[in-house]
Amino acid sequence: MITIMRAPPYITVQNGGRKHSRSFGVPRGGAMDTFAIRAVNAIVGNSLDAAALEWALGGGSVRFDRDCLFAIGGATARATLSGKVVAPCTTTRALAGEEFTVEQISSGRFLYLACDGGIDVPVLLGSRSTYLPGHFGGYEGRMLRSGDSIALGARPTTLPAEGFHSAADLMPRYDSAIVHITSGTRDDLFDESAWRTLTESDYRISTASDRTGYKLEGPALGNSLGMLPSEAGCPGAIQIPGDGLPIALMADAPTVGGYPKIAVVSEADLPILAQRRPGGSIRFQLITIEQSQRALRRRASDLHTISQLAVRSSPDWKGAR
Amino acid sequence: MTAAPLRARPLGDSAVTIVLGAERSAELLRRVHSAARALEAAKIPHVEDIVPAYLALTVFYDPRHASYEEISASLLAACDRATRLSAAPRSREHRIPVRYDGMDLEAVASATGLSVKDVIARHSARAYTVDLLGFVPGFAYLSELDPSLHLPRRAQPRPRIAAGSVAIAAAQTAVYPLDTPGGWHIIGSTQTVMFDPTRDAPALLAPGDRVRFERVP
Repeated sequence: MITIMRAPPYITVQNGGRKHSRSFGVPRGGAMDTFAIRAVNAIVGNSLDAAALEWALGGGSVRFDRDCLFAIGGATARATLSGKVVAPCTTTRALAGEEFTVEQISSGRFLYLACDGGIDVPVLLGSRSTYLPGHFGGYEGRMLRSGDSIALGARPTTLPAEGFHSAADLMPRYDSAIVHITSGTRDDLFDESAWRTLTESDYRISTASDRTGYKLEGPALGNSLGMLPSEAGCPGAIQIPGDGLPIALMADAPTVGGYPKIAVVSEADLPILAQRRPGGSIRFQLITIEQSQRALRRRASDLHTISQLAVRSSPDWKGAR
Repeated sequence: MTAAPLRARPLGDSAVTIVLGAERSAELLRRVHSAARALEAAKIPHVEDIVPAYLALTVFYDPRHASYEEISASLLAACDRATRLSAAPRSREHRIPVRYDGMDLEAVASATGLSVKDVIARHSARAYTVDLLGFVPGFAYLSELDPSLHLPRRAQPRPRIAAGSVAIAAAQTAVYPLDTPGGWHIIGSTQTVMFDPTRDAPALLAPGDRVRFERVP
């Protein structure tokens, strides 16, 4: 078990999300930073899709009720275990009864805490993710509160070594000013000047940004296209509402919508956008679908590498069979 | 009527939208639904989800194992076969009991110039078709609302509409499956569970299904 001692303003159970229920109107949901949650799982020896805690907006503390190998990643935080500093993307061993505290999230937006064995909540529609707008999934379909105790899964047989650290070059460049996008979604609707505006301006993340979408502030795109007959969207789709200011759809965005979509953020770069705070700025750069898929395959192979290195760091590892 | 040629366009690096037509119509919607069903039955490798809409359907796939060219070619071929066969779509009929006790019932009556009794009679008189699912899980957009009941959405959406609320807006009607914000006019309520993530079929209604509302006291 793990017990929430002092809940931060936002904390939920998440994993990779729901990939087979969009036809019922269920969004993918899941972690906002799909890379970081998989990376911290890999670091502690879990399957990549295990459930972990997604933590945002401020400090708080949790208590481990059993011995636990854990890791944090994603946003950068000042965090401690029983008073000792916890390094990011590094395994830390906690003894039953020890308390983990986040004092402050210093940069980025979503912090992930993975425990060996993962968070054990019921699987609904193929996922343990919390979908807050629908009040289901995760822990009772809601944010965690102080006093909640949540179950952990069985510990993996091969635990990575204490202090195992994942190399920074296997992580996304969260400080990158560039977020890659692909076109082709509605090339017929947007002219060259709209594209120039979108790719040659800095856009600032508005305070109107949450798990559903990030409103962007900057030059408006000229064409006011109104509403089209609804069709599917996805996390990362950049839609242009009547005011011409782009909205990037995020994890919990509805499965369908009627605003015209000009482009889609490359899945490999979506974590970089997700971790941008209100006020932070980005610039979009166009790449091809093939380049975008190549980048995503590279991320998948980086995660595989982290998993392999983590397992091999284990004192119990007997080498390749 | 000959169908327009199918087109594929990418929705990012992990989805492809197959466009079946340019103008909304009941006939096009039927083709979209039968193409979606045919693609489901075809079990094309690396396909994760199929989302039908008004003019197009969108297929989500795993880009680690399939390129855009490969997947769009298989999908276009499968859709083309499906739309030429034009098999009768499998559609179910639902009867949803409704208590017409909605908080906007009187306002709808006065805005449409009908009596409350007429609003109820017209809403429960016809069978509706499920156009598509979206907005929130299990929310089915039902079309062919009686033209005398067409009203624009409320100027101020409400922060919370109770699950089971039966509502109308423009040419459509729907049942709110979950407690959510909403801008439609609430005319009644039902005990029928529209969405339950623990069920095998979580959403009661599927695209193409037919729905009748039955007045209960």
